[in-house]
Amino acid sequence: MKDYVKYLIISILLQLLFSELISINGVQPNILLLFIIFSSLSISNATFSTLLGFSLGFVGELIFYSGTIFGISSLTFSVVGFFASKVSNNFVYRNFDFYWIIFSILGIFVFSFFKYEFYVFSNLKFILGPIYMTMYTIFVGLILVRLLSLKNEILNAQN
Amino acid sequence: MLNSFKFLKNYKDNLTLVICILLSFLLISQSNKESFNNFRLKSLDFFSFLYSPFNWIDNQSFLIKRLEVLSQENLKLNLELNLLKNQDIENARLRDFVQLKEKVSIDFIGADILSRGFSSNLSSVLVDRGSIDGVKVNFPVMSSKGIIGKVISVSDNVSEVQLISDVNFRMSVKILPDEVEGILRWVNDDYCEVFEVKRTSEVKIQDIVLSSNLSPFFPEDLPVGQVIGIYDSTDKTSKILRIKLFSDLTRINQVFIGLKNK
Repeated sequence: MKDYVKYLIISILLQLLFSELISINGVQPNILLLFIIFSSLSISNATFSTLLGFSLGFVGELIFYSGTIFGISSLTFSVVGFFASKVSNNFVYRNFDFYWIIFSILGIFVFSFFKYEFYVFSNLKFILGPIYMTMYTIFVGLILVRLLSLKNEILNAQN
Repeated sequence: MLNSFKFLKNYKDNLTLVICILLSFLLISQSNKESFNNFRLKSLDFFSFLYSPFNWIDNQSFLIKRLEVLSQENLKLNLELNLLKNQDIENARLRDFVQLKEKVSIDFIGADILSRGFSSNLSSVLVDRGSIDGVKVNFPVMSSKGIIGKVISVSDNVSEVQLISDVNFRMSVKILPDEVEGILRWVNDDYCEVFEVKRTSEVKIQDIVLSSNLSPFFPEDLPVGQVIGIYDSTDKTSKILRIKLFSDLTRINQVFIGLKNK
């Protein structure tokens, strides 16, 4: 539990840092989404991780300015939290990077789908924003995974 | 009864997901309601102190660069002001002569951007001015170079600004010198399109785009951008203009809120 709180605080600080100081042409990574993915991969209880995702999305949007319609983060984080917790230990061990990258893409897809209100499909120009956001999130995620040895931390937490 | 418990136990995970999704949709459907929006903005207002250290660093790191730019702009504007003062006197005299209605002047209030949003691709921002400072919904918002958006919700100390880069943003504009009317929408980066422009209208590259008097929220003649491309619409009934905004939306730190909308 202590570790989750520690990583949650790190995620919040990183999110503020990226959103206020290190955004590239307005594009920024979704660190809170990464937090939900990594924490849910380590939790086998899908009910708990879904509720964690929903609560973080809800409280997060009340504390931090999300810049989008209220409720989208709760929706995205619940869905991603649910599916990420369904991945078993064995799969995480073998294909860790594959899973968290897939869940990042899923999260940003769900988020953008509702944020852009289907414009994404009617006009290809709008798909570039979500693509840049996904790339930036994955890039930052790769650095964090290596820097904080997240794979080992998650596997230890699962055991 | 026992069966119901068994069912709940077996499908606990899925039921939780369905409930969370339904609750999220409920939140999304309520997000446009004023009372709900006020509650959200009040909460953001309360926690706005979290952004202060980051804004301070941001302001410090760009301070010297910004001073240089401002000095150059100041010099340029001083020269333009002298010229305009003479023209203003002449204009006032001529308007009086033909008995035209006096134009409404707008007061602007400066505001710092508190947050650009943690999951945003810059479609809206949170600024540190609210109803206490006289800000109201639909007030126009500008950078030092031109229009960047409008206020969409206000609490006591903070306001939410919808930027031109929001896919739902539309604005009535006119293109000088012929005052050709059209509707502006964002395309990507600092580029927008003006559609519904009459096919017969005369527009040239580098023509200036201003807010139109047909716009319900924006006072007329506020600078928006410059024409960089002219195309026919797919049905060939109208023209589409590609314009570059005067303001760089990704680099704005301070904005100005017009305290009088139409």
